[in-house]
Amino acid sequence: MYRLALNMLFGDRAKLAMLLCGLAFSALLMAQQTSVFFGIMSWTYTPVHNIRAPIWVSDPMVEQANDAKPMRDTDLYRVRSVDGVAWAAPLHTSFLQARMQDGNFKLITMVGIDADTFAGAPAVLSQGRIEDLRLPNTVIVDEWGAQLMGRVTKGPDGKDVVIPLKVGDTFEVNDLEARIVGICKVRRAFTGGPFVYTTYDRTKQYTLGARRTLSFMLVEPQAGVDPVKLCARIEADTGLKAWTSDTVIWSWSDTSLARNTFWWFWKNTGIPFSFGTAVALGLFVGIAVSGQTFYSFVLENLKYFAAIKAMGAGMGVIARMLLVQAFTAGLLGFGLGVGMAQAIGRAMIEKGMPPFVMFPQIFWATLALVLGISLVSAIIGIIKVSRVDAATVFRG
Amino acid sequence: MSTPVAHTVAVRTRGIDMFFGDGETKVTALKQADFEANRGELIMLVGPSGCGKTTLLSVIAGTLTPQTGTVEVFGQRLDGLSQEELTSFRRKHLGFVFQSFNLIPTLTVLENVMVPLLIQGASQDVAVAKARAMLEKVGLKGREDGRPNALSGGQQQRVAIARALVHEPSLLICDEPTSALDKDTGAQIMQMVRDLSRSPERCVVVVTHDHRIFRFADRIAEMEDGRIRRVVADASLLDTNHL
Ligand SMILES: Nc1ncnc2c1ncn2[C@@H]1O[C@H](COP(=O)(O)OP(=O)(O)O)[C@@H](O)[C@H]1O
Ligand SMILES: [Mg+2]
Repeated sequence: MYRLALNMLFGDRAKLAMLLCGLAFSALLMAQQTSVFFGIMSWTYTPVHNIRAPIWVSDPMVEQANDAKPMRDTDLYRVRSVDGVAWAAPLHTSFLQARMQDGNFKLITMVGIDADTFAGAPAVLSQGRIEDLRLPNTVIVDEWGAQLMGRVTKGPDGKDVVIPLKVGDTFEVNDLEARIVGICKVRRAFTGGPFVYTTYDRTKQYTLGARRTLSFMLVEPQAGVDPVKLCARIEADTGLKAWTSDTVIWSWSDTSLARNTFWWFWKNTGIPFSFGTAVALGLFVGIAVSGQTFYSFVLENLKYFAAIKAMGAGMGVIARMLLVQAFTAGLLGFGLGVGMAQAIGRAMIEKGMPPFVMFPQIFWATLALVLGISLVSAIIGIIKVSRVDAATVFRG
Repeated sequence: MSTPVAHTVAVRTRGIDMFFGDGETKVTALKQADFEANRGELIMLVGPSGCGKTTLLSVIAGTLTPQTGTVEVFGQRLDGLSQEELTSFRRKHLGFVFQSFNLIPTLTVLENVMVPLLIQGASQDVAVAKARAMLEKVGLKGREDGRPNALSGGQQQRVAIARALVHEPSLLICDEPTSALDKDTGAQIMQMVRDLSRSPERCVVVVTHDHRIFRFADRIAEMEDGRIRRVVADASLLDTNHL
């Protein structure tokens, strides 16, 4: 009978297509909206992601990774002397204006890294070498930034064409030359424009000798030292704030910079609310659409289930037939929807906009929701069929 | 006196009362309906629209439970059975032919005929073989893999007959099997029901108000106002203007 149940489902291609479209559309909506939401939210802790270091140290007043309250350079020595610290390197971040060759200004995020250790340097360079940063007036720009800062010209077909920056190109920051010696691949940020990496010492020139440039310190624990315990020791010894760099935002860990950043934006900005309503709407529409499509499928078949019931099929068999149909349709619709969400997400990532992070939690939650909707529709169908009088099959 | 009456009776109802709704809207569909049908016969249940034919048929089929009276089908008392027991009874002993065919449009012709066998728990292979053989008997060889909607009304009703008989039920129940068909097709369908369903052990009850097919009956029970008025052996004895 289950084979027949499936054949009933697959028998009408047009109706099946409608049903799957409804389920896929709602799965897509649910997965897509939540993934984009978490993608955008995960952009908030991009610095932790791009600048890899086991421990971050900041001014005690700092609440999240995009927040810079510069410390004194001497704080670096205090941290280095804490028991268990293998090394500590300075990190500078600031927003600056870059003046391009054509005279246009672009907002950039300057990142100054320690020239000795290159701690916090980008992991992947698509052009150039990190060591070239030791040459005078040199910078490394991220791929996306190279696009944003690129030169716009007219192509042969009259359309605008962007010629991205490449190694050897130059621009100016506060009248000082910046020569590109590398292009790197890093994750995009929520607040930051193009990332321009240079050495920590050179940032003092680019920022026109700002009194304090030490935004963060990156710390490596000695072998065998627990980062969480070391954080506590650094805080106790120096009065500064120390963070771990794990990006698990779903934990209760209080030391994680990524987690604190994520939830800081959650609490202090309108992003969760404005996107949250879109997510809630997506969920709501998704539930309504898939519930409605599956339910109307059940209603259309009610007459035939009544006939099967009259012919002597027990409710157990009919219930299982409906469940087989519901879960098959649910799984197919889910697969299609999440597949589409992934494909669209990929395309978006390629265009750089908007971010898309499908956490496993989103995948499983969408699956659970779609199957839950199918289950509820099937149960309503089962109740309907159980109420329908077998005698009704005799009446037209 | 070799065959006691009790052994030849297939269906017997006594003192059936059946009403729908209550108070102002109460409709009495059957009152003291006494009906009997024998093994090996094709009996027709005739009468004007609304006289209770379908209701009585549903009671015999165990899809409706009357408020009072007893129903006995092949020695089995249906009154007092639970829903599950009635379902299991229908599964084993009953075949249905409906006025509106009730074929499942999304299944193939063959799959439709397989349904009663699969409900009984037959294996796929057995069900396919039996359904094929049955479709051949109703003259639809070669149409097994098509959809019911691709067939004419007469062909669809033949599929329904195949489905009703494929599991060799002891009681075949047909409600207005020809009313959706033209005269000639209706006659062909009744001929087929007669040819295929006749067996010494099987009882066929056909509800109709189509007097053109009365000639296919062994006996005709005439209903009026929820009860059996009389039973005749020949249609010519009925006052057909009355129907
Ligand atoms: N489910 C029902 N609810 C209310 N009234 C019903 C129902 N089924 C049948 N009836 C009434 O019972 C009477 C007999 O109906 P039915 O057995 O269908 O007659 P027939 O088949 O002879 O035309 C009619 O008056 C009909 O309106
Ligand atoms: Mg009727």
